[in-house]
Amino acid sequence: MSKITKSSTAEYFAKNLQQVGFSSPLKAVLTTLKEAVDNALDACEAENILPEIYVEIKKVGTGSSKNTDLIKIIVEDNGPGIEPDDLAKVFGEYLASSKFGKGQCSRGQQGIGISAATTWAQLTNAKGAIVKTKTKGMRKAIQGQVDVDIKSNTGILKNKEAVDWDKPHGVRVEFDIDGRIQMNGDGGLITYLEGTVLVNPHLDLHHKLLDQEWVHVARVSQTIPEIPESTLPHPHTFKLGEFITHSTLYGKTSLDKFLKTGFSRVSDQSLKDFVVKGLPKGLLAKSVSGLSEVDFKKVFQSVQDTELMPPSTKSVLTVGEESLSKSIQRLGKIDFFSVMTRKPTICDFKPVVVEVALARFVDRNLALDEPVQLLRFANRVPLQFDKSGCAITWAIESVNWKNYGLQQPKGSLPNGPYVFAISVTSPFIKFKNASKETIDASEELVEEIRRALMQAGQKLSRHIKKEFKEADLERKLAHISQFGPILVEVLVRITKSGPERRKKAEEGLRKLLGQDSEEAKASLEEAETKLSAQKSRQAKKEGRSEESSEVQGALQSPIQSEESRESVVTDADEKTEAHSKGGQKISKKLTPPRVAAKSLPTKKPIKKTTTKKAK
Amino acid sequence: MAKLIKIRELDLDIPKEAQRIAERMLTDLEKSRRPVLEAVKTSLDNSFYDPKVGYLTPGDKTVKTELNVSSVQKLARVVFMLEIILRNLDIGSVNTKRELYYICKGLIRSETKLRPLDFEGQDESDAIIDFIGDMLRVYREELNCFANDRGGQTYSQQLVVYETMPDGEKATIDLSSLGTSPFMPKNKPQSLKLKAKKKIDFCLVIESEGTAGTLHAMGFTKRNNCILMGAQGVPSNAVRGWCKLIEDELAVPMYFFGDLDAYTLQNIFRTLKAGSAASLIRNADFSAPDVKFLGVLPEDVKRYDLPHYNVKESDPVEARALKKAKDALENDPFFLDRKNKGLADILKWLLSEKIRCEQQSFFSVDARDPIIMEKLILEKIRNKSYV
Repeated sequence: MSKITKSSTAEYFAKNLQQVGFSSPLKAVLTTLKEAVDNALDACEAENILPEIYVEIKKVGTGSSKNTDLIKIIVEDNGPGIEPDDLAKVFGEYLASSKFGKGQCSRGQQGIGISAATTWAQLTNAKGAIVKTKTKGMRKAIQGQVDVDIKSNTGILKNKEAVDWDKPHGVRVEFDIDGRIQMNGDGGLITYLEGTVLVNPHLDLHHKLLDQEWVHVARVSQTIPEIPESTLPHPHTFKLGEFITHSTLYGKTSLDKFLKTGFSRVSDQSLKDFVVKGLPKGLLAKSVSGLSEVDFKKVFQSVQDTELMPPSTKSVLTVGEESLSKSIQRLGKIDFFSVMTRKPTICDFKPVVVEVALARFVDRNLALDEPVQLLRFANRVPLQFDKSGCAITWAIESVNWKNYGLQQPKGSLPNGPYVFAISVTSPFIKFKNASKETIDASEELVEEIRRALMQAGQKLSRHIKKEFKEADLERKLAHISQFGPILVEVLVRITKSGPERRKKAEEGLRKLLGQDSEEAKASLEEAETKLSAQKSRQAKKEGRSEESSEVQGALQSPIQSEESRESVVTDADEKTEAHSKGGQKISKKLTPPRVAAKSLPTKKPIKKTTTKKAK
Repeated sequence: MAKLIKIRELDLDIPKEAQRIAERMLTDLEKSRRPVLEAVKTSLDNSFYDPKVGYLTPGDKTVKTELNVSSVQKLARVVFMLEIILRNLDIGSVNTKRELYYICKGLIRSETKLRPLDFEGQDESDAIIDFIGDMLRVYREELNCFANDRGGQTYSQQLVVYETMPDGEKATIDLSSLGTSPFMPKNKPQSLKLKAKKKIDFCLVIESEGTAGTLHAMGFTKRNNCILMGAQGVPSNAVRGWCKLIEDELAVPMYFFGDLDAYTLQNIFRTLKAGSAASLIRNADFSAPDVKFLGVLPEDVKRYDLPHYNVKESDPVEARALKKAKDALENDPFFLDRKNKGLADILKWLLSEKIRCEQQSFFSVDARDPIIMEKLILEKIRNKSYV
């Protein structure tokens, strides 16, 4: 018989890194970046600091594995810093986390990700993470290399030294890993950074990708999201095994106390109801450590059979429609957009909030007949792989987007130059896998996302309908000028009539077709009225002036270098009359001036500072 | 140039009527009134079928096109093409639909102000020509506009055709002298006269022109006193007019032989026998009401153990044909008429069984007999196995 051996957690993950997002060289780069940025943002939010993050990614050589490059990933934040004694634990030990099981909407949850990144660096480049940290009280920063001791699942800090750092506090982490870089597309670095920028309006991001210039995306909100206090788990979300394990945290506590203090929504009345549903009354006073498996089963079943209040929704946080509206404009030049933040609700006994931002961009080279670009988020972290099985994708596909003026092949994502950003926030998001790439599609959650999408779609359709009406008016005006003269001319020839009849007929024709175009104008005005009513409602809801809600242009693309951003500004200035038409054409000439004036892009001050990162 | 032979007696003076319409339109415009053009509604809901008449005739419904910003393009195109047609009528010139399409294209593209009239494809100009015909209630041929010749390849050892040419000259075509080449009927049946050198027993119209050619090559017309014709799918005006002429002048029994499927029955056979809803105006001279459906009949499948297969409902073309067949049973006056119950029953059978059988399956009944199809067709005619 073979010998049974026991492995450490680190050993397990070192052999199964594909389960936590390191299944390919391409994913390895993205996951490493993602874990480092998530940690930086979480740390800043925990200490009430407005995050300013620098990201630099470059190729520094050839990777040790086949078909890979050696990629350097540097992430630097202005967070509170990590105590030097904790460095090894944070970067080199699995399941060492300040957030595990807390029931909060933080990005990180278990304390696996960054240690996995260190392991990947160590496995592919024989060198763990190079970390520099400085907390508020420190005069000098501490720098060193953290490796994972895989056998014992402990972190080791090597080459520790004190160095000067002109930052008051923060962390800088550097990984050299085997990987490959993809800039665009679903799994692209730019897509990740755009997503992070979108759902973190308070983030000030500087990044330099490969040979590109440094790009600065300024924050559009000065408010640091307050992470709501965690709530106790709801008993209906538990399975029997989990229920028993949970009880072990409470030692010799009596069952009634365990039920009341270990879970949310269990009151004295609930205890009575449990008894009615079959919980032996005598067990309530017994210590949980003394309960047998049979007893636990009885307790568990009676709890599950009893109706309880749904859990509180106070533990979820939202980005908010106003911040989302500002933030989406950091992604590029926008024709129009629609945002929707649903009220927190309960899905599968877990508090959830869904937020949606739909926007049509003019400068992202998105094709009319290609599916919309989809940005998915779970707890404000972009999800970039395996979209087909995700609750968000299912919900989008279940909506009939044709009702809102978009093209949609049957059962697929709609088509067009739109970005659909959907964020699901919950302290208990159920992922399909450990690498957190796909949200499990429960019926209730899909329905909740679907509702948010439909509400956002309705708002969007007002813009699209207005465009259709504009195009209709334009077409009608064109018809009058193009076909009218031909009609009269040929009739005059067939009837062999003279110029006087011709003139009279032309006048009559103009009069008739003028009436028709007036009708089209009236129809357009009606569409415009409906759209402005929607904008007013939105502005009122957000407590802003109406003008500020009428944003038609965008600030700047964070992904563009400084020069190209300047050209965008010029375009915005020049195109004050241009706006999209039904056929997505930009036509300055044919647009009636009255219509054009309505859709002037509201210019916003553009911060044009090129960040020169001191090296 | 000799005057074109009339296709029928027509009381209407087309150029005068066209001028009257143009005059009315111009007067309306002068008075700021919206001109309206009215045409026969050419659809099934305006089609009537009387078995004594034998073809689909139009009802009272009309389509009115009133000038507005949406219809101004159509009206401009109508008067533009009407002018060209009137010129053709005036000088006695004829053109095919395709020629008219290219004539228009040339004129439109050479003059900037006409550009908005440009057609994206021939179907757009064809629709305008059809509208003019329906508006004046005249045949397209009476507007000196002919469709391209297609289908109707005819073989016979007994048939002689006398053709009056556009210049008045006469031509005599003895089909027995053409060898394996077929006679192609022209689009102007009014210019043809027929004579049978010897009694002709029947006329057989085969859906597939290739199969008609094969039967002829294997000696079908040598062994039988007949006219053998290939329809080449949905019968063109030429084929329909040609069949009508054979019926009128020779009074020989006519049989149609094609695939056993919904498309053949309702699109090909019905059009040959009773015309179509789209050509309500001219069905009288472009249909052969006495033609019988020889097969393939549902009973043939069993009797001859013919190879057949299931209709693929996932195939959009097949699915559409089935849906059309269902619609035809509910709305097509031809299939609703008691006289055509036998044909409607075949459609119902096709809908319930969802199978199809090709006309060429007759070749497979005895793979060693090269003239098996001929034998079976003759057997069916003898046994009156037709609908």
